[in-house]
Amino acid sequence: MQTIKSIWQKNWLGYLFLSPWLIGLLCLTAIPMAASLYLSFTNYDMFTAPQWVGFENYGDMFDDRKWLASVKVTAIFVFLGVPLQLSFALAIALLLNKGISGLKVYRAAYYVPSLFGGSVAIAILWRQLFGGDGLVNHALSLVGIEGMNWIATPDTALYTLVVLTVWQFGAPMVIFLAGLQQIPVDLYEAARIDGANKMKQFISITIPMLSPIIFFNLIMQIIASFQAFTQAYIVSGGTGGPLNSTLFYTLYLYQKGFTHFQMGYASAMAWILLFAIAIITALVFASAKKWVYYQE
Amino acid sequence: MNKKHFWMGLLLALVMLVVTACGDDEEQANGNENSGENAGESSGESEEEQVEIRFTWWGDTARHEIYNEIADRFEEQNPNITVKREFGGWTDYWDKLTTQTAGGNAPDIVGMHQFYVSDYARRGALLSLNDLVDSGNLDLSKFPQSVVDSGKIGEDIIMVAQGITMSGYAYNTALFDELGIEYPDHNWTYQDLEDISRQVNEATNGEVYGTSDMSGGQLQPNFRYFVRQKGKDLFTEDGQIGFEKEDLVEWWAMWKEWREDGLIPDGATQTEFEGAPLEQNLFTTGQSALYQIPANQIHLYQEQFDEGEIQMVRIPSLQGGESGEFIEGAYLSITKDSEHPEEAAKFIDFFVNTKDSLEVFKVEQGAPGNSEMSEFVKPLLEPAQTRAVEFIENTVDNARPAPYSPKGVSELEQVFSDNATAVQFNEMTVEEAAEDFFDQAESILK
Repeated sequence: MQTIKSIWQKNWLGYLFLSPWLIGLLCLTAIPMAASLYLSFTNYDMFTAPQWVGFENYGDMFDDRKWLASVKVTAIFVFLGVPLQLSFALAIALLLNKGISGLKVYRAAYYVPSLFGGSVAIAILWRQLFGGDGLVNHALSLVGIEGMNWIATPDTALYTLVVLTVWQFGAPMVIFLAGLQQIPVDLYEAARIDGANKMKQFISITIPMLSPIIFFNLIMQIIASFQAFTQAYIVSGGTGGPLNSTLFYTLYLYQKGFTHFQMGYASAMAWILLFAIAIITALVFASAKKWVYYQE
Repeated sequence: MNKKHFWMGLLLALVMLVVTACGDDEEQANGNENSGENAGESSGESEEEQVEIRFTWWGDTARHEIYNEIADRFEEQNPNITVKREFGGWTDYWDKLTTQTAGGNAPDIVGMHQFYVSDYARRGALLSLNDLVDSGNLDLSKFPQSVVDSGKIGEDIIMVAQGITMSGYAYNTALFDELGIEYPDHNWTYQDLEDISRQVNEATNGEVYGTSDMSGGQLQPNFRYFVRQKGKDLFTEDGQIGFEKEDLVEWWAMWKEWREDGLIPDGATQTEFEGAPLEQNLFTTGQSALYQIPANQIHLYQEQFDEGEIQMVRIPSLQGGESGEFIEGAYLSITKDSEHPEEAAKFIDFFVNTKDSLEVFKVEQGAPGNSEMSEFVKPLLEPAQTRAVEFIENTVDNARPAPYSPKGVSELEQVFSDNATAVQFNEMTVEEAAEDFFDQAESILK
């Protein structure tokens, strides 16, 4: 039987090579997470020592109107934004997959918005575009429609942010495109000979063959959307307004922690978010057996 | 390989790395602290010892230039002290300061404000300046007692006034002349504000609002003036709500009526312009005839207009009510964990007491707290700045002390702002909003 010492002697070099990553994981992720788990059971205003309050923070959430509003806003954003963004990305990928010349240029051009994704500059631009005197309203006025202030109206503010996400379709599009190019051409040839039309080909060949890629994109985008923050922070000026209509979960968490000095409550919110993402991701994984098709 | 042993080995390796890697950081930090203390102790003996202090403030580009210049001049006269500067806009400033303070990384000298000082001071994040004042490091002998007191919490001097200011309503004479409407009187009332707004609105076919919607947003100055005029205040001395539900109902109902008559912007327009920079707000873009600002900003607005003079009248009064005025301003504080409180005090002393500093500062955040310096800067001012100083001098006599806010004021202000918005968008009736405000206030201030 090997002793710990002998294992260490045999493998220390391996741990040494791992150390940059391990140190980062421990100091920047594991330890802060442990601290936040502890703080989530306390009242902590960041200036004085935390006081243990048990599950109070977790219980309080369900009585907190703004917390419920933030959950609703985030849910709409995820369950509307992700499918729209993926459909759009797939549509563009299909167009680009037609063997047009200059594919590389188009691919790069459509990818650019994703590079700016979540950046402050884009959010500011969005604010201008959809403002009362913005470009969108000018365009609408050309066709005789009187616009409104999209960003400052509670009923539409969130949807401008959904549009912003859809517009940043570049990353999933590039992945879809790579997936499309992996589908053997002979499958389509065989289908054509059998008399399948384009629609039939799309449903019976493209979608099943692409399903692992769709699955991957779906998971990645769901996780990213739950954590969206910058857009709402900039567009609403950090308020989540008007009338909490853009109060993303992470934005409310930030307000609680850094504006209202309730770091304990904010930590509890973070853990609830973690669990929510974990559960939803697990559900998507569970459903994968039914619709994701791996060639074997 | 035995699996159990492998995992134990891995665990041990991790623990060791934590101890060594994270421990190193701590040691280093402690080392720095020690050397810092040494530097602080010995700076009196040897002039060569270099000390770095950090100074942070809020403001716009013009202010950043002014404060950078003051810090440069201080460094010139004190070659052993380096002033590291950090600055940002109003909202970002407070978010950042909270984070830094929580992380034990707060700058030595921080810009402070009466409304937020309690969130910091009552949690023990700011240094009491009493000792530094007594030892003469920080000279407040030329400050009127009322101005020194405005920076005190209990017996402790927590902050020193850079500039004191008063709030009022600004208007541009050119617009009033063009529309043929009489200027508002200095001692006007809410009824006058309504009448003038109606005249402006009618004369421009609804193109120009009377004023911006001041029903929500921050609790002070507007709502605070209103409750003080009724002989109350936002808070009592022992940190409870100092006004009644009826006062809040009356306040929101008044603005609601004006909103429905088109005298002030609707909810969406108001939201769009909330937090807009000075160059793009409702007043500067000519969409609002009257605008509530602090007097020290008069000259900034004057710069935006080619025609007319920006004049200011006091905040409307309540017929037969008391005066709502209280001293506002910008202050400097030293944080509790500052390693160089003496150098920090020296900087504040330079900032508020010397001609070198005040000839640059002028009235940037209000009239200087030091009365001699206040006289000194007067000949240096532009006409718009002189008007600001005159306005401050005229209204400061009406000022009565205002109790400091309790802990949790930023959360309470959020509820006030949220509920006012709900009224603006007709999501809540005025009564519901006021009822809800008091319900939530009770749990916040418990």
